[in-house]
Amino acid sequence: MSAFDAVAALVARDLRGVVRSRSQLYSSILFPLMLLAILGAGVSDGLDPKNVDDYVTFLTPGIVVMTAFFSSTFSSASYYADRDTGVLRALLASPHSPRLVLLGKTLAATLIGVAQALVVLGVAALVPAINFQWQHGVLAGIALALAAIVLVNVFLAGLGQLLASRISSMQGFHLVMNIVLFPFLFFSGAFSPLDDLPLWLATLGAINPLSYAVDAMHIALYHRADGGFFGLAMDFAVLTAVAIAVFWLGTGRRLHSDQ
Amino acid sequence: MTVSTHLHAPEEHTGARDAAVSVCDVSYRFGDRVALDALSLDVRRGAIFGVLGPNGSGKSTLLSLLIGRRTPAAGEIRALGEPLTRALRARIGIVFQEPSLDPVMTGAETLRLQARMFGMRDAQPAIDAMLTRVGLADRAGAATATLSGGMRRRLDLARALLPRPELVLLDEPTLALDPDARHAIWSYLLESNAAGATLLLATNDVYEAERYCHEVALLAAGRLVARGTPAELKRDLRPNAVRITWRDGAAARVDALAAMPGVGRVRLAGDTTHITIDDTGAFLSEVFQRDGASITNVHIEEATLEDVYFQLVGRGITAAAAQGAP
Repeated sequence: MSAFDAVAALVARDLRGVVRSRSQLYSSILFPLMLLAILGAGVSDGLDPKNVDDYVTFLTPGIVVMTAFFSSTFSSASYYADRDTGVLRALLASPHSPRLVLLGKTLAATLIGVAQALVVLGVAALVPAINFQWQHGVLAGIALALAAIVLVNVFLAGLGQLLASRISSMQGFHLVMNIVLFPFLFFSGAFSPLDDLPLWLATLGAINPLSYAVDAMHIALYHRADGGFFGLAMDFAVLTAVAIAVFWLGTGRRLHSDQ
Repeated sequence: MTVSTHLHAPEEHTGARDAAVSVCDVSYRFGDRVALDALSLDVRRGAIFGVLGPNGSGKSTLLSLLIGRRTPAAGEIRALGEPLTRALRARIGIVFQEPSLDPVMTGAETLRLQARMFGMRDAQPAIDAMLTRVGLADRAGAATATLSGGMRRRLDLARALLPRPELVLLDEPTLALDPDARHAIWSYLLESNAAGATLLLATNDVYEAERYCHEVALLAAGRLVARGTPAELKRDLRPNAVRITWRDGAAARVDALAAMPGVGRVRLAGDTTHITIDDTGAFLSEVFQRDGASITNVHIEEATLEDVYFQLVGRGITAAAAQGAP
């Protein structure tokens, strides 16, 4: 019970921190919406793609996943602030394990990511130019999208923590997140369909966990005659397995708060 | 004077099972550098115990071993009669050398988080009382970033003392504080000690150690040099300490100074000789008659633990003394 309360206290602390730093809150919601408007309108009107009939709607699930990606980057970076201010050191002097301390941080990151992704999805649903098809019905579609959003945030929050506790400088962390991992969004099916890609891109797409989240959300929100690129069963099997594994690894680092 | 070899006697350790802290033959190294070298030390319950030594003597390493942040390469450490476990940390408070506060959290939030991390129930009255006690009640709702250095230090201490720890570990708790802030910190510490808490203090402030510690251990290069009450440690020392800085040839004067009447020991640090002496007046008038023109600086004071340390180790504790400056 006391462990549960400690985690709850840690989660509440990080949530409060995000609410207080409003610029972070706004930018991680406004930037994806801006990208949706500009990229969506630019491609659908300017390029008129042939194999995507409604590009803005197609793009929305990818933007939601991107929101989760930004959110987890921000949240994981707070690990460095905690380390540098000495807060981490003080928390680790409590009777609780390092895993529990990181669990608190990672759960908070997950919740923040889910909330931000849902805001972006909610705003997108209200935009007249975005027409969700709900091929499995609205309620089932919302449930599927929500499940995919939760799982992708668990995965990304775990991944962020995994990297933050292994990379000693925040500059290095941002470098890895933005230069190494951000490109994974490009071959996740977020911006362009995975169908008809050259083999090397299709392979990268298939080993990319983000592809499965984007696919599940396409099935829930967009309409596809063939039931998605991977299919719902495959999407959720891969997402669940990867999310749990990475989350567990992410909270498992033996910490040196003075590293 | 009790010296380290005496502490290695096995009967000391069987008797120390219930000590607040029992360190037995503990070694720790950072790569090639030895931080602690077969250190043995017992701290009795209820004591204010000072670990005194210059930076790099192993004080902070000892504290980090005690909170389980590092594991000793050899030897055994017990606290409050038990091996160091995570659960035991609920009974140990720590004040780190650097402030450890979240700048965007308020003082009240900082203490609430601590209460929940330490499993305290119905902690609000204790939190309010603690904030009042450390004089932060009217700033309880302010972000810690807006507090002064002294206030942050008090909040650090309030956080450590909130769960009513039986053992409090303090790493230079008053470093860089002004005299008022130091006095405030010590009044809370003495109060907590009077209520039963054992205080283990790592410091390089000899005056604080002399004034507040019941017992002091002198550490040099990870080894115990001496331990005892400040009075015991100073017993063999002449009552006065004189530091003379010479224009040239300090080293050549050591033997002549040591041969003078009433002189205890003479040590050399750069161009300065450190002398312990019974009667400062007679000694100095003699020195000035012989050699007055070569003297650039004279510093006289009552002998302190700094002089004890200097006599035993040949180096000072504080940076200025280590360089031989007055």
